[in-house]
Formats: sequence, structure tokens, C-alpha cells
Amino acid sequence: MHEKVLNLLETGKVDIFLGYKMMAGHPLPHAFGRHNPVEVQEMILGPARYPLEKLAVEILAARPDLKIGILARDCNRRALNVLTVHQQVAPGQVQVLEVSCCPSPLQRHADCSSLEAKEFGAGKKEIGIDNNLTPDRLEAMEPTERFSRWMYEFQKCLKCYGCRDICPVCFCRECSLEHEDLIGTGDLPPEVPIFHLVRAVHMAGRCIDCGLCEDACPVDIPLRLLYRKVNELVADLFDYKTGLSLEQPPFSLLFDKTAQPAAAPHGA
Amino acid sequence: MYKLVPSVCSYCGTGCGVLFKVLDGKLLGTLPLKTHPVNEGKLCIKGWNLHEFVNSPLRLKAPLIRINGRFAKVTWDRAIRYTAEKFREVMSQHGPDSVGFLASAKITNEDNYLIQKFARAVVGTNNVDHCARL
Ligand code: SF4
Ligand code: SF4
Ligand code: SF4
Repeated sequence: MHEKVLNLLETGKVDIFLGYKMMAGHPLPHAFGRHNPVEVQEMILGPARYPLEKLAVEILAARPDLKIGILARDCNRRALNVLTVHQQVAPGQVQVLEVSCCPSPLQRHADCSSLEAKEFGAGKKEIGIDNNLTPDRLEAMEPTERFSRWMYEFQKCLKCYGCRDICPVCFCRECSLEHEDLIGTGDLPPEVPIFHLVRAVHMAGRCIDCGLCEDACPVDIPLRLLYRKVNELVADLFDYKTGLSLEQPPFSLLFDKTAQPAAAPHGA
Repeated sequence: MYKLVPSVCSYCGTGCGVLFKVLDGKLLGTLPLKTHPVNEGKLCIKGWNLHEFVNSPLRLKAPLIRINGRFAKVTWDRAIRYTAEKFREVMSQHGPDSVGFLASAKITNEDNYLIQKFARAVVGTNNVDHCARL
């Protein structure tokens, strides 16, 4: 792995390689460069997960002259496919070094936060939704009960926008979640359930089920479960396999005006 | 060229771990530090936008003193000397309880300890408060 990264850097195939390194006692994403080849030996594969492909696209928006490589688990790879299909990055513009995140104990794999069942308190079990549920298990519930449980989850929202900000496939320049006519300003919780349903609809054909949104949600709303259901519909009704290939157009029910080619981030 | 710099949120006393995205010396954005024991990869909306005040053109980068009705940039030495003189002046006329100390959520416990010690032992007042009560 280290040799491959060194090779990419030294042959000039990439200028920056985004991987992980222990810093200040934390496994942090880190940009390795050719100026410091010794440091590449310190590269680790995890266990923390960050949206490296999102960082790469942000860097390229400000510095299109750079060539970037990333360490990619399956989720990073799928996200990069979605970003490519949506023309946020050109095919092959980001070099990928695939790392296996197979959960078998037989191999030293990069742990994935989404492979561990999360523990929740009694209150959430009583009136909320267990984030570990699957869409079918949730659908086995009475519709009224399911509705009230979702509403309980949604009204906890702090409107931190963390779900959007961490999401590798949220790249719109104008976000509907900040649209004044759609989502009122100045109140908490935000318009429930509109806020969450707007995001859910926008995740159709985009969400690659990385679970980073749910990891970032301070109030443990089962966001991933919600988007999983949305993408089950996308797969069943439209036979669209989000993030699985580059050979498909962006998924769109209507003409999608929100998706535009990447621009430099604000203030850059 | 591109760096990810771990730090601590400077907005409130919770002290969430953050990661700054820095490109060519300029702050591009903020991420939650996923393994930080305080926030475990989560932030509030202020933390997520921490980079904004750093880049704000309205940010004060030097102390200001009002001279002839207008604010002027001065050195820290001058600002501290000026403040000390004014404190002395007020205290010599009205006693130590005429001044107060407002500590901060954005500094360390040790700094907060020093502020109250300074207020009580050096100045001689119990007028110590904290921005978390505002
Ligand atoms: S799981 Fe969440 S963060 Fe990941 S792609 Fe889907 S919506 Fe975005
Ligand atoms: S991360 Fe959770 S609390 Fe924050 S805006 Fe999204 S749903 Fe709401
Ligand atoms: S992210 Fe929010 S809660 Fe955390 S320290 Fe900053 S202001 Fe406080």
C-alpha cells in the first residue's frame, strides 16, 4: 500500500494523496506529498472514516491544476462515481487506491463505523426508531405508529446541517434546505417533517449509503435508514443503481436545475 | 499545499474537536473530529461554520482604542497599559468593587482560574462572572 502511494507521488501521477495518519492521538485524514516520502510509511487505513472524495473535489474546485489520489473504501468509490456522473469531477481526475473494507476477521481490514450495531437508550426504543432497523422491519409496523415514531425522531433535529455538510454527494451550490420559502428560518426544530423529507427526496439516486450523515447527527436521527428506503424505491421502480457504475446518467425525476458543475467554494 | 489541522471549537465551553481544511494557507472549511471524546464526530451549526469568522473581513485582528471619538488600531502593549491605567483611575476613586471581571468559555480552565484569582487577590473584588451566564 505504502509503495503504491509512493509510486503515485514519485511518478507524478498525483501531487497530493489523501489517506490517514495518526496525529495528536487521532486517526486523521492527511494529505501526503512528494516532498516528504518518509511520511508515507506512516499512512494508516482507518479506523475513522471521512469523505476523502468530497475533500478531493473541494481541492480541485479551487486548484484544478492539481492531481489528487485518495484511499478509497467501497463507500468512497461509490461516492466518487456519483460525483463523476454529476460532473463534479471528470472521470479519472481523482486517482483511487482501493482498500478492502470486507468485514471478515480473517483479514486486517479497515474497520467501518457502520458495521457496528449502535446502542440506544430505552426512551428511543419506546417512542423513537432504532437506527439498526432495516426498511422491511420498519415497514412491518402499523403506519400510524411508524409515522409517530418518525415524527419523534424528526422533531429532535437541531438544524446543524451536519448531515448535509458531511455528505459526500451533497454538492449543490444552492441548497433547498436553506430555501426560505421551503424551510422557515429562526425556529427549532425546523419544519418537521419537510426538512427531512426534502433531503430524503434529494438523496434519490444520490445517496450511496455511507452512513456519514447518521454518524454526524448529534441527535441520532436514523437518516441512513430513511435514505435507504428512498434508494430501494429508486432501484425497484427505475432500476437505477446509485453509485455502482459510471455508465449511467444522473438520476432525475424532473429536470434537475440544482446540479451544476463544481465551482470554487465560497470565499476561496 | 493542503492540510487538515485538528483543533478545538472556540465558540462555547463544550470544546468540541474540529478539523480545519486548509488549502494554500487559507481556511476552506471545518469538519468534526470523528474520534474526539467530547463530540464523537458531531458539531452544532456554529462549530460547522467555525472557519467563517476567521475569514470574515469584519474580524478584529488588533486591539482598538477610541481616540478623539474614533477607533484606532494600537499594539497590545499600549492597549493593556491603557486599560490598566483606567482601572487604577476608577478603583482609586470608587474602590475595588467598582470594577468587574468577565471570564470566558473560550479560554482554558487555568486561564479562568487566573482571572478569578487576579480579581479576588490582586484587585480585591468578588465581581467575577462568566459569559456562559449571559
Ligand atoms: S448515507 Fe448520508 S452522508 Fe452518505 S451519501 Fe447517503 S445521505 Fe450522504
Ligand atoms: S445532522 Fe441531524 S440534527 Fe443536524 S440537521 Fe441533520 S438531521 Fe438535523
Ligand atoms: S461545536 Fe457547538 S457545542 Fe461544540 S464547542 Fe463549538 S459551539 Fe460548542
